[in-house]
Amino acid sequence: MTPEERDRLAAEHVLGLVDAREAAEAEQLEVTDPAFAAAVAAWRARFSEFDATTPAEPVPDGLWRRIERGIVAADPAPIRPQPRPAGLWQSLAFWRTTGLAGALATLVLAIAAGLLWQQRATTPVFVAILVTDANRPAAVVNAFADGRAELVPLDAIAVPPDRALEIWTLWDRARGPVSVGLIDAARSVQLRVEDLPRTRPDQLFEITLEPRGGSPIGRPTGPILMKGNAQRAL
Amino acid sequence: MLGVALRLVRRRAVAEEVVHDAFLQVWRRAASFDPARGAARPWLYAILRNRALTILRGEGRMELVEDFEPMGLVSEEEAPDAAVERLSDGGRLRRCLEGLEPQRRNVVVLAYIQGLSHGELAGRLGVPLGTVKSWIRRSLSALRECMA
Repeated sequence: MTPEERDRLAAEHVLGLVDAREAAEAEQLEVTDPAFAAAVAAWRARFSEFDATTPAEPVPDGLWRRIERGIVAADPAPIRPQPRPAGLWQSLAFWRTTGLAGALATLVLAIAAGLLWQQRATTPVFVAILVTDANRPAAVVNAFADGRAELVPLDAIAVPPDRALEIWTLWDRARGPVSVGLIDAARSVQLRVEDLPRTRPDQLFEITLEPRGGSPIGRPTGPILMKGNAQRAL
Repeated sequence: MLGVALRLVRRRAVAEEVVHDAFLQVWRRAASFDPARGAARPWLYAILRNRALTILRGEGRMELVEDFEPMGLVSEEEAPDAAVERLSDGGRLRRCLEGLEPQRRNVVVLAYIQGLSHGELAGRLGVPLGTVKSWIRRSLSALRECMA
């Protein structure tokens, strides 16, 4: 096999374009031919930017639990050493390698879980830009896949001393606006959305000016300073 | 990872299945991961991708074809141009892909982001199978030179 043929097979194997016969050949070569394995790794690394930049999707808790159960049930010891002569059981070197492999297995799984979690934690699934009457963007609400939501002001807001800014969301028209936060000045804050269903497209967020301790009736009473609807983040 | 699975199989339940299976495979095969051969992330994505393609090419295929209504498709299919625009501006992959003719770029991008086969690519682009195969080969060889 010429280097060009080898690289072509590696690239098409990574794309998933090889037929069953070539796929078997490629899998065999990945184990036996280090140059081929390197070519495959290089193509994977090149194309993986498409995966890294694919928008994150919220991972439902049910899926997590299923994966955990599956791992527990699968095999308490994921490392299966090749059968070896009995003398090996006394060999320190063998146990060292096995131990290292075990540590590596844990590490890789941690990275995999990290990939899922990181996407959950750092990429908002929904974003609402709150604009003022004058159509000026004044704050952003980020809602994350794990159910958290935060408000990040973009603009200083003058708040009189006996007043506060109350953040509301309208999830259900029948129920009306629900208070999800109260701040005395424009600053970043986690919103209290734990008891609400997950943020959904077009869900309204708004900030009103209220008495210092928040609206006394649980409904907005003061003027709306800014509002915006949640949109799915790309 | 769920986003990647969804991009390939375009059905939420199937995508969750893919992530689930891929995780268990990672757990079983973690010992075979060799850091000397490349970073962990591409390796993890490769396991996910293999699982998704097995479902796309295998038992799931019939169901996908029969189920022609867009009902079950939760994920909008992404245009190849949009996928390329997601890539980092100054990155080599983007620069090299943009150096290819649009159709030749699209075959490679579609093969990767949607996991389309030669036959599906030919149908999608309305060109003979042989043309798709030769476009792919030439694009890959141009990419390799450009990215080396």
